[in-house]
Amino acid sequence: MTNDYSIIGKSIAMIDAAGKTTGSGKYTDDLSLPGMLYGKILHSPHPHARIKSIDTSRAERLDGVVAVITGKDAPNPFGILPVGHDEHALALEKVRYVGDNVACVAAVSEAIAEKALEMIAVDYELLPAYFDPEESMKTETNLIHDNKPNNLEKDYHHVFGDPEKAFAEADYIAEGRFLANEVSHAAMEPHCTLASFELDPHTGTLGRLTVWSSTQVPYYLQHKLALVLEMPMSQIRVIKPLVGGGFGGKSEVIPIEIIAGIAARAAQKPVKITYTREEVFWAHRGRPRTIVDLKTAVKNDGIITAVKARVVQDGGAYCSYGVVTILYSGALLGALYDIPNIQYDGYRVLTNKPACGAMRGHGTVNVRFAFESQLDEIAAKLKMDPAEIRRRNLLKPPCITINGLRVQSYGLPECIDQIVTRSRWNERKGKLPRGRGLGIACSHYVSGAANSIIRSDMPHSTVNIKIDRDGGVVIYTGASDIGQGSDTMVAQVAAETLGCTLSRVKVVAADTDLTPIDIGSYSSRVTFMNGNATLRAAQEVKKQIAAAAAKKMNCVPEEILFRNDRLTCGDGSLTRPSLTRPGGAEIRSESATVSGRVEGQILRGSLQQKRKEEGPKDSMTFEEAVVAAIDFHGALSGTGSYAPPPEARGGKHKGAGVGPSPAYSYSAQVAEVSVDEDTGQVTVHKVWAAHDCGRALNPVSVEGQVIGSVWMGMGQALTEEMIWKDGLLMNPGLLEYRSPSSVESPEVEAIIVESIDPEGPFGAKEASEGSLAATIPAIANAIYDAVGIRLRESPFTPERVLAALRAKRSAKPLNLTEGVDPTAPTKFREHGGELCFKGKGPKRHEFDPARQPAHPGGAD
Amino acid sequence: MSLPGFKLLRPRTTAEAIALLAQHAGNIRILAGGTDLLPSMQQKLFAPQYLLDLRRIAELKGIRRQRDGAVDIGAVEIGALTALTDIEHSDLLRRHFSVLPDAAKTIASPVLRNMGTIGGNICLDTRCLWYNQSLQWRKSCGFCIKKDGDLCHVAPGGTKCWAAFSGDTPAALLCLDAEIEIASAAGIRRVKLAEFYTGLGDNYRKLAADELLTRVFLPASSAGHRGVYRKLRVRGSIDYPLAGVAVVLKQSNGHIEDVRVALTAVNPAPVLVKGATELLAGRRMTEEWAEAAGVLAAQTAKPLTTSALTPEYRREMIRVFTKHAVFSLATET
Amino acid sequence: MKKELIELRVNGLTHELAIEPSALLLDVLRRDLDLTGSKRGCDDSSCGACTVLVDGTPMLACTLLAFSCEGQEITTVEGISEHGSLAAIQKAYGDWGGAQCGYCTPGFMITVKHLLTVNPDPTEEEIRSALSGNLCRCTGYTQMYAAIKAAIEAEKKGMATLK
Repeated sequence: MTNDYSIIGKSIAMIDAAGKTTGSGKYTDDLSLPGMLYGKILHSPHPHARIKSIDTSRAERLDGVVAVITGKDAPNPFGILPVGHDEHALALEKVRYVGDNVACVAAVSEAIAEKALEMIAVDYELLPAYFDPEESMKTETNLIHDNKPNNLEKDYHHVFGDPEKAFAEADYIAEGRFLANEVSHAAMEPHCTLASFELDPHTGTLGRLTVWSSTQVPYYLQHKLALVLEMPMSQIRVIKPLVGGGFGGKSEVIPIEIIAGIAARAAQKPVKITYTREEVFWAHRGRPRTIVDLKTAVKNDGIITAVKARVVQDGGAYCSYGVVTILYSGALLGALYDIPNIQYDGYRVLTNKPACGAMRGHGTVNVRFAFESQLDEIAAKLKMDPAEIRRRNLLKPPCITINGLRVQSYGLPECIDQIVTRSRWNERKGKLPRGRGLGIACSHYVSGAANSIIRSDMPHSTVNIKIDRDGGVVIYTGASDIGQGSDTMVAQVAAETLGCTLSRVKVVAADTDLTPIDIGSYSSRVTFMNGNATLRAAQEVKKQIAAAAAKKMNCVPEEILFRNDRLTCGDGSLTRPSLTRPGGAEIRSESATVSGRVEGQILRGSLQQKRKEEGPKDSMTFEEAVVAAIDFHGALSGTGSYAPPPEARGGKHKGAGVGPSPAYSYSAQVAEVSVDEDTGQVTVHKVWAAHDCGRALNPVSVEGQVIGSVWMGMGQALTEEMIWKDGLLMNPGLLEYRSPSSVESPEVEAIIVESIDPEGPFGAKEASEGSLAATIPAIANAIYDAVGIRLRESPFTPERVLAALRAKRSAKPLNLTEGVDPTAPTKFREHGGELCFKGKGPKRHEFDPARQPAHPGGAD
Repeated sequence: MSLPGFKLLRPRTTAEAIALLAQHAGNIRILAGGTDLLPSMQQKLFAPQYLLDLRRIAELKGIRRQRDGAVDIGAVEIGALTALTDIEHSDLLRRHFSVLPDAAKTIASPVLRNMGTIGGNICLDTRCLWYNQSLQWRKSCGFCIKKDGDLCHVAPGGTKCWAAFSGDTPAALLCLDAEIEIASAAGIRRVKLAEFYTGLGDNYRKLAADELLTRVFLPASSAGHRGVYRKLRVRGSIDYPLAGVAVVLKQSNGHIEDVRVALTAVNPAPVLVKGATELLAGRRMTEEWAEAAGVLAAQTAKPLTTSALTPEYRREMIRVFTKHAVFSLATET
Repeated sequence: MKKELIELRVNGLTHELAIEPSALLLDVLRRDLDLTGSKRGCDDSSCGACTVLVDGTPMLACTLLAFSCEGQEITTVEGISEHGSLAAIQKAYGDWGGAQCGYCTPGFMITVKHLLTVNPDPTEEEIRSALSGNLCRCTGYTQMYAAIKAAIEAEKKGMATLK
């Protein structure tokens, strides 16, 4: 699609690219301060236990240890959701998962801190622990949190329309249970926080706190630090350096971030804590393993008349984003297809495992896997083309769905057309050689949650722009660039609006002292919301420049074209406006007075002086216009903010706040796979992914987001799985948690579809989450096309695929999947199957506290 | 995770290395490529007082034809410190002992093959999901029989360690009937690689505390066999094997003269499949005979839940890989 | 353990340092020499974010003792820019979306530089294979291939103008 923009819609390198490719860009762990200490955290070895006592005295006496802190040092609970303040930076009375945070040592070196951890004696009283969500829901005693009966974090029961009637009148009903195992973000940068207090200049006691952290949400971090440390927010400054990937794993306040603050306060020195990779997996907040019981009613013509979904999420030990996750799972059953009747029963369950939270495609992915797989089954049953059944169920926007979601721009039809054409679907589907197949699926996602976590009328994003005599445009934005390119996005939006070159623009981002509030990089909200705020700020400044330039050029401000670093009066064909302002000359002399009075000395002979002597002209350079405007206004700055419009904020039912968005992105994908029928190995050869992003502000970046999203979906589909045994994560490292390497990663052809959203900045919507969910069912459906097996448990590991293949051809059964049928799974499998065996507890290790001398005065 | 403190010893010659080993036997570990040892030390699986860094010993590197005077006798010796990348790319090995570079090229990833050595791959510690974990993690399960504990989580109630040997090249070397040279202050001994492993998960190799693996020998009698290595892994790179099969085969007049099959990653030691030659020698290859070889190999495999993917699946892949390997080696031209 | 003196050659400069024998090269680069370009992404030698050249061969700085590298030439990402400007591959990674969050990028820069040194015109399969020791979580690798091909083209053109 062509446009007449000079910067928007052009593929450009991210403005911080060179910092990344040369290694000069700084991430949190790259920072250090004079006198800085290293923090290390002691974690719980038990999945569920009461803390009877903690003795830190031996650790404190170790030379090089400056502070040892425990839960009592900062007991206020916190959590990302106002309804979920159930975490403590360090455990107070109970630990709730293996890896829960118990104590922290700040020492002069990591080695000393690690040694000191071994000297902390914790006495635990073990409690019964719960690992399977459906088992956990049955329990009544020894609850994980006392105020959550049946270990149920939250349940929702929504009925929209009349699903019972629709099911009664259906021509065909498909029903099945789908399991999706747990995955984690595995961002390449492990979480890191550096915290430092200044001395108060008046009192000499600890004053302001500055925290550098790998976060997607600096503002929420500032908020929670204030809560736990009992400091005014204004005394806390949060700075986000470069962040090495988030995907949702850094979209809430992670214990490390608070612990570093507490440790710095106790040690009265800067403290840096960097998670080991194992700790990253314990901090987790990934996509919960999910049971989806799904039922879909259709008519013979393929029209979906009702959907009924029961979703159980194994949420881990804390709320985290859980209430939002379980709501997204239900809410985004709507807004993709036209579904008139929906019943949704969602259960967010607590278990003694690391907390799950938000991960790319938050809440929608596992349900979408089930839905799109079932739709494929229905198409097969009705002997209908899987692309066609999707086309028959399209929404007719603008519309409001049965569950209250407003849909305006809707590029899904074009997305489907594009992938059908590019993949040569009609010619090839069902006609490939045995073992090779094509599968199709669709998905969508919000372009920012219409309601913020902390309900208020506050704008979701505010952006300031300052332009000074140097001609530099400085954007102050709270947007958190985590590698998705938001700094570049705001620079593009501002430069396009102001008609200046990108090199003039400097972005100051994500520093709570300098930048106005933006609620963070999550729910794919940044381009839409911060982009709109940037646009408005830029327009405000532009107006000021135009006003001054109009006087210089003797024209009306509205007719001035800002482009390519020049301001041109009209398009050249216009005659100079007859508008003669009698005060024009006066105003010019007034501005000269201002300039002369303030800066007459230094400006002598400068551009401004020269310009004063010139008469009106047809065009000015951006710099000249800026100087004129500063002369005229005294200062040049603009502010823009964005809050979603009330009509996009959803319905009134309980839980209606989650799901609404000012706009939705759409994706349709075709995956081509082959299946080795001897080994069960699935190879994804290619994925065609069409994504409706409204308008591609930076196409190379949009394509990168779409490809990355599809690729991450492929990881969840084929190789990634957190393997559990009695609450122990068996694969807490990148060696055993298998994020795909380049060798088995397929070619992804990203196809941009531009539906030009009426409210998005330049028409843009989100680009980085909506594609993930379609990939998993597209692969599942392609496997079905290739070899005729329907896998209902992800990931589709070779053992599961082979088990299904053998069952299909009635081969001698082998216990390949330890009792769980991947085509009709009922419950999650523990590592080693049903084999139930537990160790007797710590016994022999030389560092084991039980082996140390009983008297605390032992020589260290 | 930091490394436990140690003194680093950096000899320049094998003789020096052996002397240091004798001097500090019991308190010393050998550092070659470090790709297995250093991560393990960060997990506090080892905390030796001394580390013997072999990197400077040039005489332990290189792939050479063995000669008797001026006569090339068809055998090859490989220095224990030779990088796996060099094994992978060696024309000499590719021509005459192709199963070895075929196995070497599947190890871990390119950068790790630049670091890892053939000696290190032979001596690789056995692996288990209950063992290759941090100290903190291992505390959570009450430790295991291989390190710090007295339980096995893989075979509950048992007193044997089942950690799986997870090197790739030893399967190939077993097929090639390789021998290794082990040096110590007491002298030099040469043993068949097949006799180097004990079959136990914990005390998995016969290498005394003062001994150093110095060279690997590939006999002329194995040169010219066709060979292939098949590796089960989830990713196409980085991963340790979850099952591995090496096969070499020699035919004459369309009949199998010699066939050797060796397995790795499914037992505490890499193992030669007994009876493979007896099963197939003198026969013309058919699908049925390939299948029979696969079944025989699967019977030799004893995988347990030491790794990802189920044991039953890993055993099945031993069958499938062996079948495909022997069939394709015998039938492809 | 007591610190000992070592002479370490990094990016063409010799540094005399007092470090512990157990210090990993990665920590020495990052903490003692402030060369923070090389990253730590894992603890099990699996991710490749710390890849550096040791005598021209890519190795993992997290799995090498600094002392083991005495007498060898170490090149980090900070040392591969040419004449104060971006090397072709660095520029291409920016232009073609090869880097998103950028955390894995220094490791890839080293790996790709080495690839193009030993194989100036690799096939896509050779590129995939060469990159397979470096994990990236953002890009799905696809745009890296385009970047590498663009860099090769740029190098060829550069060579052509020199001739």
